[in-house]
Amino acid sequence: MRDAFSHNLVQAAVADPRLLLLTGDHGYALFDEFRRVCPGQYINGGVAEQNMVGVAAGLAKGGFRPVVYGLSAFVPIRVLEQIKLDVCYEQLPVVFVGDGAGVVYGQLGSSHQSTEDIAALRALPNMAILSPADAYEMTTCLKLAFEPTGPVYLRMGKADLGTIHTAPPLFDWGGLCQVRAGAGPVAWIATGSMVTTALTVAGDWPDSAVWSAPCIKPLDAKQVAAICRQHTAVIVLEEHSVYGGLGSAVAEIAAATAPTWICRIGIADRFSERCGSYAYLTREHGIDAPSVRMQVERFLERAGCAPPVQQVGSRQAA
Amino acid sequence: MTQRFDSTRIRRTILDMAYAGSTVHIPCALSIVEILAVLYRSYLRLDARDPRSPTRDYLVLSKGHGVMAQYACLHELGWLSDGEMQTYFSDGTRMKGLSDAHVPGLEVSSGSLGHGLSVGVGLALAAKRRGTSQRVFAVVGDGEANEGAVWEALMFASHAWLNNLVVILDANGLQAMGSTTEVMDMEPLIEKLTAFGFESREVDGHDESALCRTLDELLASPDPRPKGIVARTVKGKGISFMEHNNTWHYTRLNAETYAAAMAELTPREAAAA
Repeated sequence: MRDAFSHNLVQAAVADPRLLLLTGDHGYALFDEFRRVCPGQYINGGVAEQNMVGVAAGLAKGGFRPVVYGLSAFVPIRVLEQIKLDVCYEQLPVVFVGDGAGVVYGQLGSSHQSTEDIAALRALPNMAILSPADAYEMTTCLKLAFEPTGPVYLRMGKADLGTIHTAPPLFDWGGLCQVRAGAGPVAWIATGSMVTTALTVAGDWPDSAVWSAPCIKPLDAKQVAAICRQHTAVIVLEEHSVYGGLGSAVAEIAAATAPTWICRIGIADRFSERCGSYAYLTREHGIDAPSVRMQVERFLERAGCAPPVQQVGSRQAA
Repeated sequence: MTQRFDSTRIRRTILDMAYAGSTVHIPCALSIVEILAVLYRSYLRLDARDPRSPTRDYLVLSKGHGVMAQYACLHELGWLSDGEMQTYFSDGTRMKGLSDAHVPGLEVSSGSLGHGLSVGVGLALAAKRRGTSQRVFAVVGDGEANEGAVWEALMFASHAWLNNLVVILDANGLQAMGSTTEVMDMEPLIEKLTAFGFESREVDGHDESALCRTLDELLASPDPRPKGIVARTVKGKGISFMEHNNTWHYTRLNAETYAAAMAELTPREAAAA
C-alpha cells in the first residue's frame, strides 16, 4: 500500500507541478522516488508541524496543491487547530496524509499511536476522510484526494496486510465497496486494516456481507441505510476509538433512518498501557480476529441472530 | 482633504466601530494604526477594484485582535461601506471581532494566536516559487510571540530565504493579563529576530516617517534574509486614558468614554480649518 501511495503521489506530482509535498522530517524511505523524480516539489518543513500546516495553507492560497505528510499522531492530531482554522475554514485544497494510524507503532507507545484522528477530523466542517484498506483502494483514494475540492485527510494504517481487491475499485466520495456478497442476517462494514480482519471473521457467518468503507467522510447515508435494512445486525470494525469513528458514523445514520443492531468494534476508551508488537496490541485491545469473533458472537446472541458456524481449524488459524 | 489612511481618521473609525458594536480589544487596534496606515498608503500594491487580485501584496494580520484597524483601512479603500462598518460585531454580519479571511481584504483568520505568520510564510513561499515580486507584510503581536508556532515560522522563513517577507512585531508591551515583561519576557526582541535569521530593525511604531525610512531601507536591501521590524508602540495610542492602561483590553466604551476619546482625536480637517 505504501508503494501504491508513493507511486501515485509521484505520478500526480509529475502531472501537476503545483503539487508540493511537505513533510515534517518524516517518511525517509517512503519519499525516495519522489525526491528523485520531483526534487523541486519536495519540502522538508523540519520538526515544526504547526508551521508546516500554516505554510501549506499559504501555499494553497497562493495557487499550489500541498500534500502534508506526517505520522497520524502528529498530522492531524498535533496540528488540529491549524487544520481547522487555516485550512478547513477556507476550504483549501490541502491533502493531509497521516501514516501509521491506529496502533501500528506498537512498541513506541501512545505518542506515536493515533486512535482519535477520525473522531477529531469528522467534526471539522469541509474535511473529507479517506481510509484505504489496500493498495488498490489507495489508488482510487488518491485520485479522489487530488480532486481540487477542499481539505482531505488520507488515513494510512497498517500497510502490509496484503490486498483485498484485484484492481482499483470504483467508488466515489462516500461510497462503500462490497468485498464479499451475502444476504444473511449479518453485515460487516470495516475500514483500513480491519477489512482483512472482517473478511477473516465473517467466514464464520456464512452468507454474511462484507463492505469496505474507504471513505469515512462523507459517508453515503443511503447506502449505509440500505445495508442496515437488508441485515438484522451490522458489525462495524475499525482500528480507532469506538467513539467518533466509522462505527459512530454508521450508528448515526442507522439511528436516524434505519434502526438496527449495530455492533461497534474498535479501541475502547483507553490508551495502550504496555509495549508490544502490532499483533500483541491488536490482541490486547480486542481487535484481533479471535477477540472480534468472541465479541460478535456475544453481540449477535443479544440481537437474536444465529450463532456462527464452527469451522474446523478456524480458531487455530485466527 | 487629508491624505489617505490618515491615522487620526483611522482611530476615529476604530472608536466608532467599537462603540457601535460595544466591543473590547480597542487598544491593540490603536497600537498598529501607523503601521497599517503606512503599509496601505505606500507599500501594499493592491488592485483597488479587486481585493482578491492574485497579484496583490498581502497584509497578514496575525494578531487578529487588532482587526478594527484593518477594517478601518479596508473602509478607506472603499472595500467596506459606511453601513457595514456600523454593523461590526452584529448578528448575521460578516464583521466578526477577529480577523477573518472570508472578508475580502483580510488575508488570514486569526485571533487564535500564532497562526497567521505561518500562512504568511506560505504566501511568501508561493510568490517566490511562482517567481512573482509579491510581498507579504505580517503584523505579529508581542504577546502573540509567546506562541511557539511564531518561532517555527521565523525559522522556516529564514531557512527558505524569504526576503519578500516583512515581519512587523507590534511591541506594545502589554498582553491580555499584564505587561509582556511580567507575563513572558521575550526581550531583547530585535536580537531574537536577528538570531532567527532576519535582517532586523527597531523603530518607533507611531512615527510614520521613521516607519517609512525603515521599510524603504529593508525593501531595498540586497540582503537575502527575510525582514524583521520591532515596532515599539503604545497600546491604546492616541487616547490618553487608554494608553498603558491594560484594563482597557477588556473594557467597552460607554457614551461618556466614547465622547472623551473622540474629543482627543480632532480630525485634521477641523484642526486645519
